[in-house]
Formats: sequence, C-alpha cells, structure tokens
Amino acid sequence: MTVTDEELVARSVAGDTDSFNQLILRWERPIYALAYRQLGREDDARDVVQDAFLRAFRALPGFKGEAKFSSWLYRITLNLCRDVMRRAKRAPFVQTPEGVDIADLVPSGTPAAESMEDVVARKDLSRHVARAMSLLPEEQRSAIILKEYHGLTFHEIAELQGCPLSTVKTRLYQGLTVVRRELDRQGRGPAGAESRTP
Amino acid sequence: MNESPYCGNTDALTSYLYEEGTAAERLAFEAHLRQCERCAAEAASLRAVRVDMAAWTPPETVLDFRIVREPAQSTSRWGWMSTMPAWAQLAAASLVVGVAAGLSGLDVQYGSDGLIVRTGWSRPAGTRPAGDAAASAAAGDDAPWRTELAALREQIQTELSQNASAPTAVPASAGAAGGSEAMSDDAFLARVKQLIEASEARTQREMALRLTEMVREMDTQRRADMRRVADGLGVLEGRTGAVTAQQREVMNYLMKVSQRQ
Repeated sequence: MTVTDEELVARSVAGDTDSFNQLILRWERPIYALAYRQLGREDDARDVVQDAFLRAFRALPGFKGEAKFSSWLYRITLNLCRDVMRRAKRAPFVQTPEGVDIADLVPSGTPAAESMEDVVARKDLSRHVARAMSLLPEEQRSAIILKEYHGLTFHEIAELQGCPLSTVKTRLYQGLTVVRRELDRQGRGPAGAESRTP
Repeated sequence: MNESPYCGNTDALTSYLYEEGTAAERLAFEAHLRQCERCAAEAASLRAVRVDMAAWTPPETVLDFRIVREPAQSTSRWGWMSTMPAWAQLAAASLVVGVAAGLSGLDVQYGSDGLIVRTGWSRPAGTRPAGDAAASAAAGDDAPWRTELAALREQIQTELSQNASAPTAVPASAGAAGGSEAMSDDAFLARVKQLIEASEARTQREMALRLTEMVREMDTQRRADMRRVADGLGVLEGRTGAVTAQQREVMNYLMKVSQRQ
C-alpha cells in the first residue's frame, strides 16, 4: 500500500529524513518540470528544485497541513522561480538559439518506437510552444502550466495565485489565445492547424 | 442572433475545455456548441492548442540530491579537536598542562591534609603563607614525599659514584667533588639537568615519529582521493564519448536526409 504524502510529512516532522527523501523522489520530477517551464533553463530549474525541497524541509515543522503538501511545494517553487526571474532581471525565457540543437534531438528518454522524423517534429513544436509561452505574463503562464501540465483544479490554482476563480479562468483563456496566435504566426501546430479559426 | 448565455462566455468555454463544472453545465454548453458555429470553432481551436502544448517537455536531467542529516556541529571552540587522532589530543592536552604548570609555578604537596595544589599566581615567589608553614610543620619529616625524595637523591648519588670513572657521565665539577655535600648538590643538579635533557630528546623523537605517521596518513588519503578523481574523470570521458557518438549518428542522418532532398 502506498504511503500518502501526509503520512510521509508526519514522519518527516518527527525526524525521519528517509521519509522526506521519499517525498523528494515522488515530487522532484513535477517540481523540476514546473520550474523549467517557468524559467526556461535547465540549470536554473535544477537549482530551484533543490532550493524548494530544502526550504520545505526546513519549514516542515510549520506546515499545518491545511493545504496539500504538493500545493505547498508548488507555492514554494513558484515563489523561488519569481525570485530567480527578479534577480536575473531578464525575460523569463532565454531565447532558443536559431536552428536545431542536434544534441537535444535524441534525448535518453526517447521512446524506441518514435521515428527520427517524429522526434524532430516534436522537438520543433516543443520549442515553438516554449517561445509562445514566454510571451505570456507570469500569472497567465503559471496558470496554464499548473493546469495543463500538473492538472491542478481551478480552485487550487486560485488558492496558489491568491485570486478569484473567475480570474483563473480568464488567465487561462487569454493565455491560450495568445499561444494560439503565436503558433499560427509561426505556422506551427499540426494537431489543430486545420481546425483553428483566425 | 444567438441569445444563449453561453455564447461568447469565456468562463463557460474554459470550464468546458478543462472539463470542470457540473455535468448539467457541460451538457448545456455542448448543446449550445451544436447550435453555434462560432463557439464550436473556438472550442475546437483551443482544444487543438492544448494538444500542441503537450509537445512541450522539459529536457531530461539528473536529479539525485537527497537530504542528509549531518552530525550535530559542536558549538565549542574546541570542537575541531574532536577530528584529531586520540594520540594528538593526548599530546596537545599534555602540552597545555605542562605549559600551564610551568607558567603558573605549580606547587603540589601531599600531606596529612591530603593533596594540596597551589599556583605561583596566588603568592609571591619565595614566600609562604602562615597556613602553609603550619601545614608543613604538621607534615613533619616523615611525610611520604620527603622519604621518596630522599630515596631518589640517594639513588642518584649512588649512580654518580658508580659512574665517576666515566668522563662523559657527569659534569667535570661533579668528578672533583669527592664526597662533600656541596659537590654532591651540584652533581644532583647536573643529573637532574641530564634527565630533563633526555626527557626532551625522547619527546622530540616521539613528536618526529607522530609527524611521520601523520604525513604517511595524509599521503595515503591523498593517493586514495586522486584515484577517486581519476575514476570520476574516466566515467565522464565515457559519457562524453557516448554523447559524441549520438551527435555523430544524428549528423549522419541529417546529411542523408539533406542529400535525398
């Protein structure tokens, strides 16, 4: 039977470091993905993941369990990402270099069934989405990332962002329309190019 | 003109897209989409954007950090000593006690009142408080330390007389001393000096030995570290080679594709 986050948190608070390491194992990938999509840089994202877990570990005695552990972790991560962006005083995304990054084309996790053409197309689309997302204001980008890639509910996003539910919906809708416009402008989006309306 | 409350309602459209909201709301919105081409196209278009967005994946990375509890850090200013070997701690402690005893003019007495320890800081040199004199008187000539001191003196004198013929064993003044009391005191002092020198030499030898051991330990550790670094570099080189091979493969593929075109 899988141990819940709450149980692992309780054990960690009691001084069981291994339990906290289990939480890290469970959440490091989603947290890394969140940080990467927010910041657009792998090394920054890795630093944020480490900082987020360290902060969480130190603040664990103060965690009252009013929110889910994951929501609490997301909040810490988003705050850290905001700090990184503020400190760097740069656009949240570093412009992807022109041309194809050959080394990036064949990542270790590429499924064997995926042809080279598919890999190239997927990476290409991924880069275009990343570029489109970089144009969004931080709140819209966070909302879309939390919804699209982490499956949070409107209510959870509203709590994380400290705004009304309707604002979350507006941010999602506006964000999606900007991404759509940008993908169309780049002539991208094979999945729905024919179904899109201007 | 469409009079449906759902037409152009982005809140409802977003809830529909992300499948949030009640089943009744969903059914009602679907019914509206069947009647409104514009809203249906908008919903399909945004759904397609969502499909495209799934292609955006972060690069693979290694995330292998874990929380490790370090042993509690000593707050004492002498905490660093705990990392020293036991013999070094003992040597350091002996040195500190020796230096402190020398600086303080340590005076240890054992009498009928038990063990008495005094330092020179508590009284001027050469003076004795009244209580001290009384204690000394109370101790009398038969105090154990006096007996022991007398025995030591006799032993040294015996050794000196036995070694009188040896020119290097005792100072020249001691050799001309005969059996007089004054010369015997000089010889006693010389012998004490000799013993102290021997002790110092022994201490120096021990220190040299310990230093050699330390150097040897450090050298062994350094060799082990160098081996680990070399192993790590070997692994790194292996990885770099694999990446290069991958890149070469992709380059070949791209070359073939471009030639076909």
